[in-house]
Amino acid sequence: MVQSKKQKYLFLAFCLLPTFIMFAIFTLYPLFSGLYYSFFDWSGSAENKEFIGIDNYIHLLNDAIIPDTIIHDYFLVVTKVIGIMILAMFFAVALTQLKIKEAPFYRIIFFFPNIMSVVVIGILWTFIYNPSMGFINSGLEFLGLESWAKPWLGDETWALPSLVLPSIWAGIGLFMLMLMGGIANVSKSYYEAAEIDGANEWQQFWKVTLPLVWPQIKISVLYIVITTLNGSFIIVQIMTGGGPNNATHVMGSYLYQQAFKQYNFGYGATIGVMILILSLITVLILQFFMRRDKVEY
Amino acid sequence: MKKSVGQILGRTGIRIPLILWTLAVLYPIFWMFIGSFKSNAEIYKNPWGFPEVWNFQNFVDAWTNYNIDTSVFNSLIVTVVGAVLTLVLAIPTAYAIERLNFRGSKFLFTLYVSAMMIPMVLGWIPLFFLLSDLGLLDNIYGLAIVYAVSQLPFSIFVLTSFISTIPKSLEESAAMDGMSPYRVLWKIITPLSMSGIITVTIMNAIQFWNEYFMALIFLQTEDNYTLALAIDFISNEAQYTNAWGTLFAGLVIAIVPVIILYAIFQQRIAKGMTEGAIKG
Repeated sequence: MVQSKKQKYLFLAFCLLPTFIMFAIFTLYPLFSGLYYSFFDWSGSAENKEFIGIDNYIHLLNDAIIPDTIIHDYFLVVTKVIGIMILAMFFAVALTQLKIKEAPFYRIIFFFPNIMSVVVIGILWTFIYNPSMGFINSGLEFLGLESWAKPWLGDETWALPSLVLPSIWAGIGLFMLMLMGGIANVSKSYYEAAEIDGANEWQQFWKVTLPLVWPQIKISVLYIVITTLNGSFIIVQIMTGGGPNNATHVMGSYLYQQAFKQYNFGYGATIGVMILILSLITVLILQFFMRRDKVEY
Repeated sequence: MKKSVGQILGRTGIRIPLILWTLAVLYPIFWMFIGSFKSNAEIYKNPWGFPEVWNFQNFVDAWTNYNIDTSVFNSLIVTVVGAVLTLVLAIPTAYAIERLNFRGSKFLFTLYVSAMMIPMVLGWIPLFFLLSDLGLLDNIYGLAIVYAVSQLPFSIFVLTSFISTIPKSLEESAAMDGMSPYRVLWKIITPLSMSGIITVTIMNAIQFWNEYFMALIFLQTEDNYTLALAIDFISNEAQYTNAWGTLFAGLVIAIVPVIILYAIFQQRIAKGMTEGAIKG
């Protein structure tokens, strides 16, 4: 059967157009009009929308809270990357290289928090940090370290670091699996050769495993960075709401507060543009620095 | 001989961190389940131990007095409608991008996939007003549409790679027999990529069931709350009401479906998520 050109295009349109229209309305249009809104002073109603040029951006540069939110975001990025990568790498090597019989059991358990709702994770950990009933303070008391006990999430110094642990707890499994996939692809003969050359297990890790799973490491780091910059505000919103005294506000939670709590929609959009630009720049810089020639032996 | 003794010690030593992390993962979840069977007084007195009496009062309370029944229903609708809509939108596009040679197919694919890396927070402000104009604000179906479109990039990405594994000869011979391209898509491609469709659907369903922030922005009245919002609401109130047991019951209700799905589809979920992340 020969299809006419017209029929072919009709089918192509049937496949692509409805999806693209939905995507354009609910993804592309909001992103671009977000950009547009950032030049307005706007409290939400049509009458109160006033074009103010780059005033929002000037305000952004003079807003004393903004630098803190950026620092908080990057603090989470750095601590999460370090914490997750070290632990995920350790577990991945342990579960693949050292023939442990019950390895699948650990794999299944470690991955589970990755599919838990952030709400559940956040509330669970809020309770773990609870000053009077929480597990952490009870544990410290049990160990005779009462003086270390504190209202973790209510403490201006400790609230932000306290958010790192739940994120690592919830994130490790996925990256462990990604690294395990990389290690499984490394040919056994490299390790045998290394062993014959007298390399111990530690040297084998540095000289064989690490260079050969570099692509997986790179993807993992990029993924952690992107998801943290684009989504760290969710756990912040649930666990601290940005408090105490703005000590845990990240860019996204500050956007939420400005736009949806204080109805500064124009300024909120400006913060959104900043998030977009910062995360793009960060990804580009990272890609540049992690560029490393593919290792082949 | 000496080496093997060292290795045995090493094997045992390596298990210590593994076991510790297992406890770190399981204990809070386990304890959440136990807490949901304890009275509030018991949670205060002995927050980390077993209950003296196992009772279901917390579940009854959550279900009847805290609107959990409505929100479970809302979450189910959002999850099912969202997951089905995602498939309806993603399968034809994935097929066209993978199999129909047209100009700009590469570009379209890149456009969809790069949307996975864009922070959507910026878009949420205009989306809020768009939904309001369309009469879809504070509407669970509106939320389902937003969810479906938000998972399009991931779904198209995974589905194209599944469709690419289907041998081309099948479609060609079907077309020879006079089958229309619409029927080829529906009768041949869809059944043959079922494995990918199931993976994508499970991932999307878990995502929609768990989602919190878009629901927080786009839903306003309590009657429209999804489960995540309802639990967050109980959690914020618990500071004053001390209804911890009810809160735990809500958490358990939220997590049980995810545990069941994970128990059945563990390998699919793990594979789907790692593949989704590897898009780089």
